[in-house]
Amino acid sequence: MKLVAYMTDNADLLLFLTEQHIELVLVSVGISAVIGIGLALLTQSAPRLRHALLSLTGTLLTIPSFALFALMIPLLGLGVAPTIVALAVYGIFPILRNTVTGIEGVDPAVIEAARGLGMGAGRRMRTVVLPLAWPVILNGIRTATIMLVATAAIGAVVHGPGLGQEIFRGLERIGGANALEEALSGVIGVVLVALILDLLFIGIAKITALRGLNVR
Amino acid sequence: MSDRPAPSPDAMIFLDGVSKQYPGQAKAAVSELSMEIGRGEFVVLVGPSGCGKTTTLRMINRLVEPTRGRIFIDGKDVTHADVDSLRRGIGYVIQQIGLLPHLTIADNVALVPKMLGTKKSERHQRAEELLELVGLDPAVYAGRYPKQLSGGQQQRVGVARALAADPPVMLMDEPFGAVDPIVREKLQTEFLQLQTRIRKTIVMVTHDIDEALRLGDRIAVFGPGSRLAQFDTPLEILSNPADDFVRDFVGSGAPVRRLSLLKVSDVVESSSADMPGTANVIPVDATETVHRALELVLASRAEGIRVGVAGGGSRYLDLQTLLIAAAQPTKVLS
Repeated sequence: MKLVAYMTDNADLLLFLTEQHIELVLVSVGISAVIGIGLALLTQSAPRLRHALLSLTGTLLTIPSFALFALMIPLLGLGVAPTIVALAVYGIFPILRNTVTGIEGVDPAVIEAARGLGMGAGRRMRTVVLPLAWPVILNGIRTATIMLVATAAIGAVVHGPGLGQEIFRGLERIGGANALEEALSGVIGVVLVALILDLLFIGIAKITALRGLNVR
Repeated sequence: MSDRPAPSPDAMIFLDGVSKQYPGQAKAAVSELSMEIGRGEFVVLVGPSGCGKTTTLRMINRLVEPTRGRIFIDGKDVTHADVDSLRRGIGYVIQQIGLLPHLTIADNVALVPKMLGTKKSERHQRAEELLELVGLDPAVYAGRYPKQLSGGQQQRVGVARALAADPPVMLMDEPFGAVDPIVREKLQTEFLQLQTRIRKTIVMVTHDIDEALRLGDRIAVFGPGSRLAQFDTPLEILSNPADDFVRDFVGSGAPVRRLSLLKVSDVVESSSADMPGTANVIPVDATETVHRALELVLASRAEGIRVGVAGGGSRYLDLQTLLIAAAQPTKVLS
């Protein structure tokens, strides 16, 4: 198998690109999470603004990723910065959506009782609403992450880091020596990264699960 | 300032002309309501839906901010006090209970003490005492989660949580509304027993007149348009309804319901001292209700009851006299 031979020969490079890819996705999704959860919290008492933001971030998602990366060039040039910004923009919607859904899904009776017993808004958010909404929020982050693993590969068009470089290098000289192997090993890497990160999130979900909600 | 009414020293809760007008609504949800509720009194607000009883209750801990009027708790004007510290000093129980599902039963009960900064060990001990008080074994239940408890057990925890910081006042919004009738009656009975021990000032909302008659020291009957139709003792409401609305709301069977509210001692003056030698009578304590006395008479196929009276001796009432006496409001309410 030429592919296996290629991959073993270039193991160091592939491993490096995989690491880069994971880092890229995690950094971007981290920014998305801060923005997405932050927007959900800030629009707590402004449902119309919240709706508008959901529509806006949802619409951003429909911009083809290739185009969004290219649009970043005049603003941020080439390299890491435009890649991260574009990815972070994509990641906002699923996280914002799920945070809103999670918060709205908290039993109103629980909030009413907490309020009636003298728990102020900030404390209520911190100790009641967010913990109870967390499983749904985490799922939003997970969705965003998996989505960004694939999209991050396209980042190579603006010379972004990660496995996209391998794929694009192969595709550019398709028919040439090892071109197919390059592209394929990049694709395989992306799939593996998606799997690894998904497992990571399953782990986080397990660790942060609220015991009271899962007892019988 | 001086012409405004002030609460009497006996009043724990005093509402002075409170109104609630929701924006965009033609009629006020509550208008110009004044009420005085004494220390240790159990007051039930009852009325059809939309009569403003829940709004009234929620204005006491300012979950609903009154548009006009003043609220006094324990002599202090709390209309503009800090809401969170106000609410921490008032127990609050709602129909849907609203236990925090991610906290253990003990942590749920200790919620208010925790917010008040009570130390962890004290908090835990307090939670255990309260679970004991509401009839749940702390060894079994303290570490469990709300999901693992039945509806009735959860409502007990809700009551324990409301009592945790030992507030002088408790507000209860249809607390027994969500449990099945058998459990409800059990909870009501237990709660009445509990109240004789803890003597809190309780304001409770219900739409169930039977519950109101059973639990309340006094009942506030709200009519349509948030009118306070009558605010009086259960016996007085059954015997002398203020108007047709109250009469209708209490419904038929008022004379029969009165039987459970009247004590044998209330009717003993219509008795005769001489006891027919042949009659089959049974002894009944003067503190029993007339309802219970009738039950005993019917169960033992007796013809009447014998009641011991103060200063020795006993009085005799036959079945007929007992019923007639109970059916005459004026005789009892002297």
